[in-house]
Amino acid sequence: MIASIALALLQYQPEAQAGVVGSGKIVGGWEYVYVAYGLTLGGMLLYGLSLWARRPKG
Amino acid sequence: MPEITPLLILGGVVALIAIHTFVASTRTWVWKVLLGLGVAMFGVQLYLALKWVPPDREMGDVYRIIYMHVPQVWMALLALTLNFGCSIAFLMKKSWKTDALAEASAEVGVYFGTVGVSLGAIWAKPTWGVYWDWDPRLTTSAIMIVIYMGYLTLRRFVEDPEKRATWSAVLGIISFVDLPVLWYSVRWWNSLHQRQSSPKTVDGPMTMVLRWSATAFLCMLFVFIVHRFRIAYAARQREVAPPEALPAAGVVS
Repeated sequence: MIASIALALLQYQPEAQAGVVGSGKIVGGWEYVYVAYGLTLGGMLLYGLSLWARRPKG
Repeated sequence: MPEITPLLILGGVVALIAIHTFVASTRTWVWKVLLGLGVAMFGVQLYLALKWVPPDREMGDVYRIIYMHVPQVWMALLALTLNFGCSIAFLMKKSWKTDALAEASAEVGVYFGTVGVSLGAIWAKPTWGVYWDWDPRLTTSAIMIVIYMGYLTLRRFVEDPEKRATWSAVLGIISFVDLPVLWYSVRWWNSLHQRQSSPKTVDGPMTMVLRWSATAFLCMLFVFIVHRFRIAYAARQREVAPPEALPAAGVVS
């Protein structure tokens, strides 16, 4: 009896542990998306402006 | 939209880049066409990536960063591979144009690499719980940026144009060693960063938007390199011009 309980305890896996990686889903996070897109588009605009400012004169 | 659309546009963009490269008379207008196309594609891209394409099964909407993160790192790798080619070409046959193209591709590569890796860090926070982890992929990416910043620093600190071109060509070849290591790091080591996806592992609409985005970035990469090349080549011409070609003393141009 005790042995079978001990065995059951050893074999016990909480549900969260038993779930494979990726069984959850990230909710929200749009702020990260907006920052990434803003950084990309703003960065390209600024880099483009820096090229224009450094253009060969004459 | 048919899934083949971005591939067709990509083919057109590559053809235009080839025309610009091999037909000198087209160099005044090809970049303008690609700039216009790139800007228009980014306009459509915002709708496709933020609204049209479905969320990821596990990462939800956060995964939409992929459409900006991955193509920018690809552009960095492309530009730095061009730098490697120019470095070899310069050592085989000295040419100020090759040297200027090497300088241009390194700067644009560092730009796209820095933004691309920064976006990866932004994406890492909601998915991994941290902005940064010293895993093989991230470490080799950081090394890439630091090495090529060193390359650009070397170019600024060496005054003799010939020495600068030769030394930076050697450094460009050595620096390139990091790129294949960066690419294969997710296969060679147990990396927190996922392995490369392929059209077989990604849904069709997601693949299509990624290709669309990569094509838009390719247009911008080309425009940036063309203009950075013109700046570098003009500087080289001023540096190596014979004294009689320089403006007379007191004349400011």
